Amino acid sequence: MSKALPNRPLNPRRIGVLAFNTFTQLVRMKVFYFLAIFAVIVIGSNSLNLPTNSAPENAGIQVLFAIKNTSIGCMGLFSLVLAVVATGLLLPKDVEDRTLYTILAKPVPRLDYLIGKLVGVTSLIFISLLAMDLLMVGVLQMRTNEVVEMRSQFADGAGYPPEMKARYINETLALGPTWNLQGGVLVVFFRAVVMASVALLLSTFSTSTLFTAVVGFMVLFVGFFQADARDFYFSGTGALGRIGSGAMTVVLPDLQLFNVVDSIIEGKVLEAASLLKIAGVTLFYCVIYTFTSWIIFARKEF
Amino acid sequence: MPSAVDIQNLVKVFHPSFRGTPVRAVDNVSITIEAGEVYGLIGPNGSGKSTTMKALLGLVAPTSGSCRIFEADSLEVDSRQQVGFLPENPYFYKHLTGAETLAFYGKLCGLRGRPLVDRISELLDLVDLQAARDRRLGGYSKGMLQRIGLAQALIQEPRLVILDEPTAGVDPVGSRQIRDLIFALKERGITVFLCSHLLEQVQEVCDRVGIIYKGRMVKEGRLDEMLAIEEETEVLLRDATPELIERIRKLVEESGDSKFLGAGKSRTTLERLFLEETTNRDEP
Repeated sequence: MSKALPNRPLNPRRIGVLAFNTFTQLVRMKVFYFLAIFAVIVIGSNSLNLPTNSAPENAGIQVLFAIKNTSIGCMGLFSLVLAVVATGLLLPKDVEDRTLYTILAKPVPRLDYLIGKLVGVTSLIFISLLAMDLLMVGVLQMRTNEVVEMRSQFADGAGYPPEMKARYINETLALGPTWNLQGGVLVVFFRAVVMASVALLLSTFSTSTLFTAVVGFMVLFVGFFQADARDFYFSGTGALGRIGSGAMTVVLPDLQLFNVVDSIIEGKVLEAASLLKIAGVTLFYCVIYTFTSWIIFARKEF
Repeated sequence: MPSAVDIQNLVKVFHPSFRGTPVRAVDNVSITIEAGEVYGLIGPNGSGKSTTMKALLGLVAPTSGSCRIFEADSLEVDSRQQVGFLPENPYFYKHLTGAETLAFYGKLCGLRGRPLVDRISELLDLVDLQAARDRRLGGYSKGMLQRIGLAQALIQEPRLVILDEPTAGVDPVGSRQIRDLIFALKERGITVFLCSHLLEQVQEVCDRVGIIYKGRMVKEGRLDEMLAIEEETEVLLRDATPELIERIRKLVEESGDSKFLGAGKSRTTLERLFLEETTNRDEP
């Protein structure tokens, strides 16, 4: 007789086994092919020579913005599509293929199964974003070096004093690969984690991947405007309004907070407090949606 | 020693969506299986066999009644430490190889390291899939999938194995292999709860049988007792001449109390004939 495990929920080893299997499953579904497309897009954006109306001292800046915009945009698109579609696909597929029967017939708490799936998908998103980030940083670094060289020559030709030249060069370097930009990539990841949790919740009661994907993308769309809608409908409505506003924030994720990525691309600094707040909000949504998923899934019959 | 399976007054009613008529899939079924027994639950399609098994595995919740495995409530996760389950027409993760599949299920049961590696190798030998251990399941035949399914059911050395139509869609050779595996499990003292509508197979391997029809248990008991026709006796002879048969017939008629019902050649089964003609042959 094998040694009995304590079959309590939240067993890290068991969750790890399920997560690794989910990760492998998605990898073998050739999800990483997207990285090749991403590489082509990023390298393509680097080779752009955008026409500029700005002054000669600003030459080359637009391409740095273009690389960051394109890369972060692709990362956002890829991570959100993967979060919604892959998470929404895995659970119905396990039910349809009856693989779920054999898993739940083992001493596997249903909560561990759900968390394993979520961790597997989010791990894949994390590693994909990491690979894309490395590529973006590499391309951006090369291009930044070129722009710095160009601007250095311009500063020398224009006779800038050393302090002014140093400030001028530092401004350029701030538009390259910075820790601030890495914070932006982390925010992209956090947003994908929230959407993966939403898709997990949807897939516990949906009967098809299509339904999960369509509703998931609707939630995403609404999430971007949720804060505005909340202000519009509930501002000045008293205690009842505050309850309504709070309920709306919990039921639908408020994704406006994650829009800081756009200002990071523009070069604005992401404060550590803001990043912590976003991480906290991500954790909040992740726990709420996973817990609700478990409540539904625990009662589900197969 | 506790019963391996104890199902008491199980009722399962399904409520279809949109206010459809409720379906009573299982109606007051009670089954007790002692440790080491091979029990067959037979019945036509839709009679409630699979629902009974799912209730025993905690995949559906009983509407009323109870299901226990070695005294543990089957709705509790711990009860599944003792159970191996092979569903009807199982589809495992096609991206995994045979060995990876067993490793996955083994790890879910808490096995790891050398014991897991050894157990995988032992089971691949048992189900005769050692040669295909590194092939992905996408390339397995139906019979191979059933056998790897049986191996995963046995990975944590369970005391009870539940098999739902284990030979569905499998050719006679594969079917025979699975039947031999059930015999091997029985020899090891593992309790087997088998669900099938292939009556010949059930007759061959089971100690006790329950017949379920429209959700109700209509007959249950030891197979040899259920199949015996009390007032008839079978005599088997080898190389008997027609004269000897005639003498026996006359002897029976002279006794007055008995009646000679018939005599003829013993017959093999079509399955046995098929296996003799198709296995261990080099050429057609």
